[in-house]
Amino acid sequence: MDELLEILLDIDPDVDYETAEDLIDGKLLNSLSILQLIAEICDHFDIEISPKWMRNENFNSARKIWEMIQAIQEED
Amino acid sequence: MQITSFSFFLFLIAVLALYYLVPRRFQWGVLLLASLVFSLSQGAKQMIFLGFTALSVYAGARRIQALSDAEKEKRAKTSFSAEEKKGYKQAGKRRRKRVMLLVLLSNLLLLLVFKYLGFFMDQVNLVAGFLTGSPVLGRVSLLAPLGISFYTFQMIGYLVSVYWGNIRAERSFFRLLLFCSFFPQITQGPISEFSDLSGQLFAEHSLKEADFFPGAERLLWGFFKKMVVADALAPCVQDVFANYAQYAAPTVLIGAFLYSVQIYADFSGYMDIMCGLCRMMGIRLTENFTRPYFSKSIAEYWRRWHISLGAWFKRYVYYPVGISRWNRNLGKWAKRRFGQRLGDTIPATVALTVVWLATGLWHGASWAYIIWGLVNGLFIILSLWLEPIYAKGRSFFHVQEHPKIWRLFQVLRTFFLVTLIKVLPEVGSLRDGFGLVGRIFSGPMLVHSLQGLLPFVEWGVLTRILFFLAACLGTLCMLLHSLAQARGWHARHSGRRARFLRVLRCCILAFLILTFGVQNSWGGGGFLYAQF
Repeated sequence: MDELLEILLDIDPDVDYETAEDLIDGKLLNSLSILQLIAEICDHFDIEISPKWMRNENFNSARKIWEMIQAIQEED
Repeated sequence: MQITSFSFFLFLIAVLALYYLVPRRFQWGVLLLASLVFSLSQGAKQMIFLGFTALSVYAGARRIQALSDAEKEKRAKTSFSAEEKKGYKQAGKRRRKRVMLLVLLSNLLLLLVFKYLGFFMDQVNLVAGFLTGSPVLGRVSLLAPLGISFYTFQMIGYLVSVYWGNIRAERSFFRLLLFCSFFPQITQGPISEFSDLSGQLFAEHSLKEADFFPGAERLLWGFFKKMVVADALAPCVQDVFANYAQYAAPTVLIGAFLYSVQIYADFSGYMDIMCGLCRMMGIRLTENFTRPYFSKSIAEYWRRWHISLGAWFKRYVYYPVGISRWNRNLGKWAKRRFGQRLGDTIPATVALTVVWLATGLWHGASWAYIIWGLVNGLFIILSLWLEPIYAKGRSFFHVQEHPKIWRLFQVLRTFFLVTLIKVLPEVGSLRDGFGLVGRIFSGPMLVHSLQGLLPFVEWGVLTRILFFLAACLGTLCMLLHSLAQARGWHARHSGRRARFLRVLRCCILAFLILTFGVQNSWGGGGFLYAQF
């Protein structure tokens, strides 16, 4: 989780990712920053994220993103 | 069956009556019957192609689901090594992908033949004519089934979602047929996700005042926008498009602005009619507009105009291209070569270019639409690339983001740009589109009379002047309605007062539709977006 928070802070250091629950709905992450985030996650966690995971609810908070990463790792 | 015809009005009453009279478990059957009758009224050909899409996607999705279920069952029952498990999963994925691609490509092929074959053959002939002096292929002009772009995309979305495992395949063919052919959205969308719409379509709905009357008001508001505003402005816009070379710059600019109003009143009017009708039946359709002309940038405009198409492209094109391994590798290479900023921006640029090329092609098979799509994409990509420079500029000139005057400037700038881009493919040819835009900047600026400024109004015919004035007042009402929505004014009244105000608004709308709208469009007046 700490590694994920570091990646997120690199994208935008002004957001409090530990508490934010509306990263997509509140437009804190846009479609450009999501692509950056995916690229970083794939590199750091050595996983492939398929388009099926690209749903707003999977990206609305750091916790949700972390759960998604764990689900992908489990699936692999 | 035209939406603005007496026969459609009778059809609506019959559907609503039947919907609430039959036992509730049969309500979705009424919707299916109504959808099939509506499609049949567009001709037998419509039914054949619709049937093919529904049947092929149904069979494909069921097969994918069966393969997926069988794979999961075998994995649960058999003890695999990690290596065997991975191989088994990959083999299963390949099998499902083959089915998905077969169905997807056969439906896309149908779309390509009807919408793009003529354009493709014209291009071949153009090249052949240039090389050999004569065309090599005959001319083909096929009439595309109504709404083929909308229902094909909707069904592809359903198929891919089943393939991805986001939803389970629908077991009943007739339920899927309803999702494919649902008459309020078949001709112009919205392009719905199965997970958003299916639950509502198949649920049992009782007659509720809180849904029925607001729905009826929205339906009337939609007819007002279409019949009193859009159809009254259509001849004025066509006149400017046909004669722009003879008109002064302010006249051409007004004509372009009127086109922006016309297409918004036309398309959002249709959505209001259908969202209103669906709400009367307890169904909430996906919204396609959130006050797009209040946007502060072109990217924001496209998030607020034809929302369901944008969401479809984002989900099924932008993300798959954007996060693909080859595109990420391209980004890494750019980062090593040109630095962090470019490395981050290039994958999005590639994905946006594909999306906007596809969006242009989706709107029409012509170079004019392709260029229109790419111009939109260019503005969005440029704003992405230049954002750091904008930020520095704003900081240097001490421009604050929030003051109202700055926001107003951004809104007006976006409306102006969107209007110039919008007219490009609509004037006739691309050359005429650029010619019209050029005339705005290079034509004579001085006009000496109102008749000279607005030559498209038939000044000698009193009724035409009144109808034009009604359209202008209707435009003002649309602006006020958008402002009221943005500020939540409509929600301030409740109880008997709200009911009285609603009845009053409905009476006024009905009166205006009967007085002005019927003459403008009754029995005719097709919708602009139906051509797509």
